[in-house]
Amino acid sequence: MSLIVIFLSIALVNNLVFMKFLGICPYLGVSKKTDMAFGMGLAVTFVLTLSATMTWIINNLVLVPLNLEFTKYIAFILVIASMVQLVEMYLRKFYKALYQSFGIFLPLITTNCAILGTCLFIDLWGYNFMEAVVAGFGGGLGFTLAICIMAGIREQLELADVPRALEGAGITLVTAGILTLAFMGFSGMVR
Amino acid sequence: MSARATTSEALTGFVKNLWAENPVFRALLGMCPTLAVTAAVKPALTMGLAATFVVVCANTLVSIMRHALTPHLRILMFTLTIAVFVTIADLFLKAFLPDMSEVLGPFVPLIIVNCMIIARAEACASKKPLFTAVMDGFGIGFGFTIALVMLATIREILGGGTWFDFRVLPTWWVPWTIMKLPAGAFITLGLMLAVIVHLQRRRQKPPQAA
Repeated sequence: MSLIVIFLSIALVNNLVFMKFLGICPYLGVSKKTDMAFGMGLAVTFVLTLSATMTWIINNLVLVPLNLEFTKYIAFILVIASMVQLVEMYLRKFYKALYQSFGIFLPLITTNCAILGTCLFIDLWGYNFMEAVVAGFGGGLGFTLAICIMAGIREQLELADVPRALEGAGITLVTAGILTLAFMGFSGMVR
Repeated sequence: MSARATTSEALTGFVKNLWAENPVFRALLGMCPTLAVTAAVKPALTMGLAATFVVVCANTLVSIMRHALTPHLRILMFTLTIAVFVTIADLFLKAFLPDMSEVLGPFVPLIIVNCMIIARAEACASKKPLFTAVMDGFGIGFGFTIALVMLATIREILGGGTWFDFRVLPTWWVPWTIMKLPAGAFITLGLMLAVIVHLQRRRQKPPQAA
């Protein structure tokens, strides 16, 4: 039961993009086309689930017993960078088609703050192992949802008559703000 | 290259980064902390100064070891350098400003993946001599701080009627709660960008004959 609550909480109620401001750069940068947005979302979900699992294991089984928690950030970023590298090599070797569809997004994910941010939040909230895995997966799906909605809206915006000063980043941010308002409808459902 | 030429190059870089190439308004880098910590001025200022410290130190170190960096490992080296300084900044905040550290939460460690800082390491510090890189770091850091404080000023005054915890608007002012929430952050930043683009356009246009 509580796993479902955690999943819904991180995917909808505390959506990474709308409520925690994580992963804003790809959210604004890679949301011009729906298919690209979907690819990015899937890549993030994949890496986030793996990273959340790995960082939980390393933090709780290595760093905490050895009192090395002050090296947490360095350890986390190394884990994430090597996870991305591993995933990239594995996909290139065994799943050529998937690798080509992820393309440029995989290396970019290392500097996606949604990944590091979620790992840090999981640590902050003191989740156990299963909860961490579920939270990583749910967070990734929530990100995919957010970036796909945004890309859908922006494809329509191409045709709209936007005030000249607001063109580009301005209108995207205002749209994101209105979308956030919509997602606030979920707030209060679960803590 | 003469010392004077390097100095002037460094100073131009510093001034340019402050406003003309402001990381937030012009380059749209480092958006996550920009939106997340600007509900009030105090955390915004703390965040800006912490990021300034990190970018200056990271630029210094990257510039010193720029000849030793191998191309395919350089991003990893940048990230590790930045992570070390972020850890220092985080421990400093926890020790001396515990309440700010509480408010900022995971957004201090998230400076590690702030694309603004990696971008400076890549575009400037790994190519330029030490002094230019340091001045570039200060410029980008202060530019970031200015942007954060501007956004936080609007949000805190409209959202709570206070500025830096001092009451500026009369007590009958009904706070716009939305400004404190994530939605307010997005919309305020979007409108601020629009104002800045508009002003820039007007300045660039040749003055009309009267």
